[in-house]
Amino acid sequence: MIEVMGLAKRFPLPSRRASSIAAPHHADDERGHDGWFHAVRDVSFRCAPGEVLGLLGPNGAGKTTTLRLLSTVLKPDAGQIIADGVDLLRHPLVARRRIGFLSGTTGLYGRLTARENVEYFGRLHGMRAADLQQRCDELFDQLQMHEFADRRADQLSSGMKQKCSIARTVVHRPHIVILDEPTTGLDVMSARILLDFIASYKALGVPLIFSTHQLHEVDKLCDRVCIIDRGRTAFHGGLDELRRLGGSADLYDAFVGVIGRDG
Amino acid sequence: MWTIYRKELLELARDRKTFVFTILIPIFALPLIFGGFGYLSTTMFRHAREAELTYAIFGKQYAPQLAARFAAETGFKEIALADPAAIKGAIAAEHIKFALVIPAGFEAALRGERQASVALHYNNAAAVDITRKRVMAVIHAQNNALRLDALQALNLSPEQLRFTLAPITLDEHTTADQREQTGALVGGFLPYILLTVCLMAAMYPAIDSGAGEKERGTLETLLLAPVSRGAIVLAKFLVLFTVGLTSALLMVASMGLLLLLGGHPINHELSQLVRAIGVADLALVALMLVPTAALFASVLLAISVYAKSYKEAAGLISPLIIVTILPTLVPLLPGVELNSWWAMVPLSNVSLAMRELVKGTMDYRLLVPILLSSTASAGLLLAWCRWWFNREQVLFRN
Repeated sequence: MIEVMGLAKRFPLPSRRASSIAAPHHADDERGHDGWFHAVRDVSFRCAPGEVLGLLGPNGAGKTTTLRLLSTVLKPDAGQIIADGVDLLRHPLVARRRIGFLSGTTGLYGRLTARENVEYFGRLHGMRAADLQQRCDELFDQLQMHEFADRRADQLSSGMKQKCSIARTVVHRPHIVILDEPTTGLDVMSARILLDFIASYKALGVPLIFSTHQLHEVDKLCDRVCIIDRGRTAFHGGLDELRRLGGSADLYDAFVGVIGRDG
Repeated sequence: MWTIYRKELLELARDRKTFVFTILIPIFALPLIFGGFGYLSTTMFRHAREAELTYAIFGKQYAPQLAARFAAETGFKEIALADPAAIKGAIAAEHIKFALVIPAGFEAALRGERQASVALHYNNAAAVDITRKRVMAVIHAQNNALRLDALQALNLSPEQLRFTLAPITLDEHTTADQREQTGALVGGFLPYILLTVCLMAAMYPAIDSGAGEKERGTLETLLLAPVSRGAIVLAKFLVLFTVGLTSALLMVASMGLLLLLGGHPINHELSQLVRAIGVADLALVALMLVPTAALFASVLLAISVYAKSYKEAAGLISPLIIVTILPTLVPLLPGVELNSWWAMVPLSNVSLAMRELVKGTMDYRLLVPILLSSTASAGLLLAWCRWWFNREQVLFRN
C-alpha cells in the first residue's frame, strides 16, 4: 500500500533571458512565477497491494517529477509519501530498498553483460551472493533470459534490453514498483514484454504505479487512474468513474473531457 | 561503495578506448614520440648546419677578398644571378638561400679606414635562423682578419694586440654537475608531460562515469540504489584516481626503463641522468603524482557530473586542460624556485618539486607542505564534487 498526499515540488527557473529561449512553453504556464517553476503543486493518490495505478496527464503536467519524488531521487517541498506505514521522505534509504523504478529512458551499462547488469544492482541493494544467484536464476527463468545472459548489453536487441531492465528493476524484490512511461518508444514486442510483466506483478499483490500516454494500456491493466494536469491531481478514481465524469464511454474522450473541464 | 568501484573498473577494463589511453599511450606512444622527436630535432639541426647554402653575390669586384672567403667556405655554393632585381624571386623559388649585394666603393672605404657595409637578402621567417648565423660567421672571420691587419699596422706586440681586441675575457666555472644541468632541462618539462598524461588518462573515464551515465540513463537508476550519494561520488572518484595515477606511474616506469636500458643511442646524458636520480627520488616523483591525480580526478568528476552529455563534458573539459597546464609550466619560468611559498600552490608545487628531484637539489622538508596543500585542495574539490552531486539542479539539468 502506498499513499501520496499533497505532494509539491518547485524548481528554480533559469534566468529570464535563458528561459525564453530554452523553454518557451513556460512563459504561458501559470506554474512559473517569482523565479520558480512549480512543476508539482498538489498531487495525491494511493495504490493498494495488487492494484495497478495509471498516472495520466499531458506532456509537462508533472508526471515524471511526481514519480521521481516517489522514488526519492528528488526531494519534495511539501507533502507525504507513506508506504506500508513508513514515511518514505524521512527514510529515503529504506524507501529505495522497497521501490523498484523503471523509466523509459533507463539504460543499461553497455560494457557489462546482461547478468552483470542485474547482479550489479542486486549488490547495490545489499543482496548476499547466494541469494542474488538464486534470485537471478529465478528472474532469468521467468523472463527467458538465459540464452543472452552472458552477452554484453550493447549487443542485445531492444526486447532483450527491456527484459534486462525489468529484471534489474525487481531483482531486490521491491514492495512497490514504479514505471515512468515504460512503453514510450518501444516496439510492439518489447512493449508486450513489459505489459506482461505488469500483469504478472499485479498477480503477486505488489502495488504498481505507471505513467503512460497509451490509454489502451490503461484500459487493459489499470484498476485506478490518477490524472495530473498542470501539477495538480485533476482526477483520481476507477476507470468507470473516469468514463462517467468525462462524459464518454471512450477513454480518450473521457480523458480529454476531464482535462478540458479543469482548464 | 566498493561494488560501484569494482563495477566501474571492470567496465573500463572492457573498453578498448580507455585501455589505449591509460596503458598503451603512456607506456609506448609518448616515450616513443618524445624519443623520436628528440632524435629528429637533433638530426634536423645537424642537417641544417651542414646543408649546402646556395647564394648569389653582386658587386664582387668591389670586394674581392670577401667574395673569395665566401667562395672558399665549405657548404656555400655560388649561383649566378643576372640582376639584383631577381633576388627576391630566386629566394622564393629556393634557387638561392641568400644574396649579398656589395656597393661600389666597398674596398675603397675599407682602405680609407672607414666602415663599409654589405647588404644581406634572405628570408628570416624561420623559427631558427640558421642562414643568418652562418653568413655572420663568415663575415665575422673576415672582420677578424681585417682587424688584425689594421692593428698590426700599429706595431703592437701580441700581448697588446690581445688586450686591444678583448680587454676582459670571461673564464667560466660551473658549480652545477652534469646531473643538475641536464636535470634543470629535463625537470622543466617532465612534470608537464607527466601531469598531462595523468589528466588525459582520467579524462575519458571521467566523461563516461558522469555525463555518460546521464546520457545512457543509468544515473537515475544508480541514484535509486540504497547507496548514499557520498559513496557514489567517492567510488567514482577513486576509479578516476586509480586510472590517472596508474597511467602516470606507468609512464614514469616506462620512460625510466627505456632510458636506463636503451638510453645510449637516444641520448647519453639523459640515460646517465636516470641512473643518477635513483630509485628513492624516482619514488618521490611518483609520490608527487598521488595528490595530483586526486586533484584531477575530483575536478574532472565535478565537470562530468555537471554536464548533460558527452559533448558538453568534452567541451567543458578542454578549457580545463589549458588551465591545468599553465601552473605546471611554472618551473620553466626564469627565477622561479621551490620555496615555502611556491610549495603551497597546487600543481605548481608538484611541478617544481619534480624538477628539484630530477636535478637532485630537493629540499626534502618542503615535501610536507607540498603534500599537505595538494591533499587539502584535492579534498576540498572532492567535497565540492559531493555537494554538487547532491544538487538536484545538477543531476537533472534537463
